[in-house]
Amino acid sequence: MTNFAALLRLLTGDGVEFILVGGAAATAHGSVRLTRDLDIVYRRTPENLARLAACLAPHRPYLRGAPPGLPFQFDRDTLQRGLNFTLTTDLGWLDVLGEITGGGGFEELLPHSIRVTLYGVECWCLELTHLIEVKRAAGRPRDLDAVAELEALLEESKGSAG
Amino acid sequence: MKSKDRESSEARSSIDDVIEVYKRDIDRTLLRESLKLSVEQRFEALRELQAFAEELQRAPRTKPR
Repeated sequence: MTNFAALLRLLTGDGVEFILVGGAAATAHGSVRLTRDLDIVYRRTPENLARLAACLAPHRPYLRGAPPGLPFQFDRDTLQRGLNFTLTTDLGWLDVLGEITGGGGFEELLPHSIRVTLYGVECWCLELTHLIEVKRAAGRPRDLDAVAELEALLEESKGSAG
Repeated sequence: MKSKDRESSEARSSIDDVIEVYKRDIDRTLLRESLKLSVEQRFEALRELQAFAEELQRAPRTKPR
């Protein structure tokens, strides 16, 4: 089971710049769907790559679904050479994304993000309207029912606000 | 021959139709309850759902005789 609280405290405590996206962002906006991992888009500056690699290192990050024993090392150079990593860690499943389809990277997503506070920490979270746009743009069939729920949430929150 | 714009617009329309069909089956009472919670409470509800899902996966399955 993914320990969302521990992962978020770890990342924010170590000053990692990231934006919550995917199912966790949907949860923040009120989704009641089950998600098993924490998806983040991280800023690809050299300093942030180093912070991200260093904070996850003690938690045994490894490629999810890969056979055990591969010579995988999650460090700054690996992050620099790669982009998106789906990881297992001691704290649960973490998807570390340099970009998302239909949304781009940290710099593109930041203007469409809001601050959320949970578990005593504050972090960026993709806003609901943009989360819908990104999922629509990605156009994956498996996302369409998630989009339907997000649009219903948007309608409900507008209804309760007005 | 269809123009690319028209094809894209038709694909969009088809996606919209699918989303509208999914929307009909959404239990909005659950969403309204969720919207009353704080962000942290929503994550706590997710954690409980995760634990329940894992418990169900561990549960032994037998066929009644």
